[in-house]
Amino acid sequence: MRTFRVVHRTHYEYGWPMADGFTVARLQPRTTPTQTLVSAHVEVTPTPDEWHESVDAFGNCVVHFAVHHPHRSLSVLSTVEVQLHHPSPPTHDVPWEAVVVVARDAGVHVAEYLAHTAQTPRLAALCHLTDGVFSADRGVVEAVHELCHRIFNEFVFDATFTDISTPLADVLAHRRGVCQDFAHTAVAALRSVGLPARYVSGYIETLPLPGSPRLVGVDASHAWCSVWAGELGWLDLDPTNDQMPPQRHVTVGWGRDYDDVAPVRGVVIGPAATQSLTVSVDVVESLLG
Amino acid sequence: MTPAMEPVLYLAPRGGYDETADPTGAPRATWSVAIDALGSLSPGALLQRQRDADRLLDAEGAGHLVHDLALERVSDRHGAEAPMVDSRPWRLDPLPFVLDAAEFGFLAQAAAQRMRLLEAVLVDCAGPQTLVRDRLLPAELLYSLSSFRASVVGLAPRRWLTHYAVDVVRDASGVWRVVHDATDAPSGLGYALLQRSVLARLLPEGLRYANVAPITAHADRLRRALTSAAPAGHTNPRAVVFTAGPGHPSYVEHSYLATRLGLHLVENADLVMREGRLWLRALDGLEPIDVVYRRVEDGLLDPLERDHVGTSGVPGIVWGARVGHVALANAYGSGLAEARALAPFMPAAAQMLLGETLMLSSLQPGSALSTSPVFVAAGTDGRPGLEPRAVVLRLHVVWGPDGPSVMPGGGGRILAHGDAPHQPTALLAKDIWVVGLQGEPRSVVVTAPPQVDFGPSVPKRAADALYWLGRAAERAEVAVRTARVVGAQLDQDPMLANLGEGGWIAGAEGLLAAARNEATIFDPGATTRDRLVHALQLTVAASAKQLAGLVQEASSVREYLSSTTGLVLGRIAATHARLVEHNPPSDELDLVLVDLAALSGLAMESTVRGPAWRFLDLGRRIERALAVLGSVEGALGPATQAMTLQPLAEAVLAANESLVAYRRRYRSDVDLDAVLDLLLRDDSNPRGLVFQLDRLREHVAALAWADGLELVQRASTAALESVDGAVLGGRRLAVDSFVLSVRAPLLELADALVARWFADPVSPTMMGHG
Repeated sequence: MRTFRVVHRTHYEYGWPMADGFTVARLQPRTTPTQTLVSAHVEVTPTPDEWHESVDAFGNCVVHFAVHHPHRSLSVLSTVEVQLHHPSPPTHDVPWEAVVVVARDAGVHVAEYLAHTAQTPRLAALCHLTDGVFSADRGVVEAVHELCHRIFNEFVFDATFTDISTPLADVLAHRRGVCQDFAHTAVAALRSVGLPARYVSGYIETLPLPGSPRLVGVDASHAWCSVWAGELGWLDLDPTNDQMPPQRHVTVGWGRDYDDVAPVRGVVIGPAATQSLTVSVDVVESLLG
Repeated sequence: MTPAMEPVLYLAPRGGYDETADPTGAPRATWSVAIDALGSLSPGALLQRQRDADRLLDAEGAGHLVHDLALERVSDRHGAEAPMVDSRPWRLDPLPFVLDAAEFGFLAQAAAQRMRLLEAVLVDCAGPQTLVRDRLLPAELLYSLSSFRASVVGLAPRRWLTHYAVDVVRDASGVWRVVHDATDAPSGLGYALLQRSVLARLLPEGLRYANVAPITAHADRLRRALTSAAPAGHTNPRAVVFTAGPGHPSYVEHSYLATRLGLHLVENADLVMREGRLWLRALDGLEPIDVVYRRVEDGLLDPLERDHVGTSGVPGIVWGARVGHVALANAYGSGLAEARALAPFMPAAAQMLLGETLMLSSLQPGSALSTSPVFVAAGTDGRPGLEPRAVVLRLHVVWGPDGPSVMPGGGGRILAHGDAPHQPTALLAKDIWVVGLQGEPRSVVVTAPPQVDFGPSVPKRAADALYWLGRAAERAEVAVRTARVVGAQLDQDPMLANLGEGGWIAGAEGLLAAARNEATIFDPGATTRDRLVHALQLTVAASAKQLAGLVQEASSVREYLSSTTGLVLGRIAATHARLVEHNPPSDELDLVLVDLAALSGLAMESTVRGPAWRFLDLGRRIERALAVLGSVEGALGPATQAMTLQPLAEAVLAANESLVAYRRRYRSDVDLDAVLDLLLRDDSNPRGLVFQLDRLREHVAALAWADGLELVQRASTAALESVDGAVLGGRRLAVDSFVLSVRAPLLELADALVARWFADPVSPTMMGHG
């Protein structure tokens, strides 16, 4: 068991004071079989005039807050502490077709992750990733492993190529993107063969190079994928880092796609003005834990 | 008998179901009712009736005031490009579609059953999800539908559907089928009421004689239903009609419904969420709103929600509905029930959720439809006649405190050949009559619903638009009249061009520039007749621009203007198009003046004296005061030779509609002091400066606006200064200084007015994704 401390700072600057600001944030990590939430705290500057907490349709914690006085900047500082437990590796494998057969009847909270959405559409181009991977009678864990490997090998990490509105079809055509794109790719590919798959949002600890100090504040929020494997339950895979199971990942929440779990979404009301956004994420292992 | 009197020939197609005759060829009773009500089926009579219907729809703005107008892509006053809107010409067929009581009874029961079912489906999908759990509806289908809103899972609003509409069609075997459910923001109720009011004016005896069930009570039912949809504990709930604005294709209907319901028509900019509640940005501050009858599709409602398109909408409104402080009618997420992908599951859902068999089944794609006669002005032979066409009926159901009630009648869409029945492509509508209904009370006396009286409350946006409407109307009038006056002087006496070494031309050019609200450049050496002709054209073009602005402002505040005003605005829109096209003859300009006079007359005589009118009149008075000052400065500021004073002073008087008054009073040649006295200081001259200042003082006092009152007072004090004829550097000094000292506080007033009453940063911007 290891304890991680995450500091996630989202800072907006406006060129002119805004009269109202409305924000929806999903920042509090869930407790899962491999993760225990120790503490979570969100601090917003300026102090919001409204604050409501709730749980969404996918079980994620949501905060709605609003500022109703003129403000030129908005800062959201999320500080959390979680304990990660090493997932025990699957003791056996089951044919992926058997999982497909039972998935539809495994209840809403499994079957809903079969749904193709606007960000994870059913595309013919996905078969280039799944063909030969999901062969007859192959074990689901083994096949998913290879899918994860394939995305990692065939796609280039390129932060300049996509933004959150880039359609999956473009990502597949150019084989470029960032972690959100690779997570969407994996999710859409798994659903296209009939396996329920979640889009997972969270953080990853960036390992320092040997001998050099760990850089602080350069990391961004991360995204990966989780597949339902029947009796084996939900198994996480990170196609960006070719890790299954992921080793140093802090899960915040999950949904059908990015839009279900966007960390911070907001609208400001005010004069037309410039806007700048800086995000920093700092994930450190707390040695005291 | 002349050919025009011959009844038109209608050939019912063989084999299918036709509304006019049964398979033996005998006329159906409902068709006989239609013929009796119409009186004559001669092509001439039908053509005339269609033209009358066009004219009446136009008067309601339903021919789409904005949409039919060839408005160039002008920037609005906020500097934003005005949206180009598709023209949707819409006509009413002069022949009604008639249903007898038995048939309507069946359809009404079926429509109410379907509304109960869709409500139950929504309750289930957001709540227990038994349909999904029992695999009757696959979860993977539900969660992939673009109209499914995951954020409604777990919600239980008081009602999902307050207003539901269903499109039905009779197939070729005579069986009624469903083609479309409308559950998000069903349109057509306002159009149906509007169409009926048009036909009722064209065929008053026909409707009475045929005993056609009235549909007007349905608007009252909707209002009661909206009131009853209010969140628990909200006494005296206040409801509004929420539109996406004049760019929305159904804006005319929204505006008409708001007027019929007696509710405010509001846009995004009028609403703001605070403390979980929804508020109207009114002139006097924020006023709470309890129920939103939304005409805005749910994907445009709230930019904080996933699946939102663009940045318009009211941030947080869905959250407000979720925590129960504001009711949306229909509830956010109701659009799910109209998904075509769900239609195949409905019969089983009805069994499971209601324990009932669905009375209506869906139309299979490609099925043949029944036919009904439709009037065409030019048929296949090029002459007016009747053609068989399929008609889709839209039935409206409102769920009020006493359960569902189905409007007895409504609107039908006539399909063109090749139209898919479920797609709203038709441009030709039919009024649907229900005849022979028993027991339907003719008029229900209802105690006033518990509505807050909001007569004095006006949304800031509406007051803003009315103010600019007033200013644009006045500025347009000044520009047209000045161009008319100067043009006439030049036509009648071409020698004026040489008068006083170009002095007349200099003054006339100054007068025209002032009418265009441009700075006067006094440069006597450079003025020529050609330049004056050019200035005249510029002035007409400027007036066309003002007319466009006027129509644009007016289209967003239709509900504050009378229906006769709508007629005048329609004419102004048409005139505007002609002014843009060519340089109009002077009598055309006279007609513009007549329409503008009608507009200002209607504003004075047919508008309730509330704050809405006050802001309209404030705009007018400020603009007129500025125009008087501008014309005096432009024409009489230059110290031209004495011989030019006479025609120039006459032009200024005429441009300010004070020439006749001047002649009556002074019966003399023009005298500068007397002219200035009449235009600037005479408080009985409704075109004069002081008269405007007096009205401004009344308005500002009524608004209890101290800063505004002080500015008006400053203008009035400055207006007391005497003006003599002293000349310096080619200018009449006192005229210039008078104009300057009165104009400064007026311009300040105009700025202060916008800052105090309208200015609110209201455009939402998405924050970057963090």
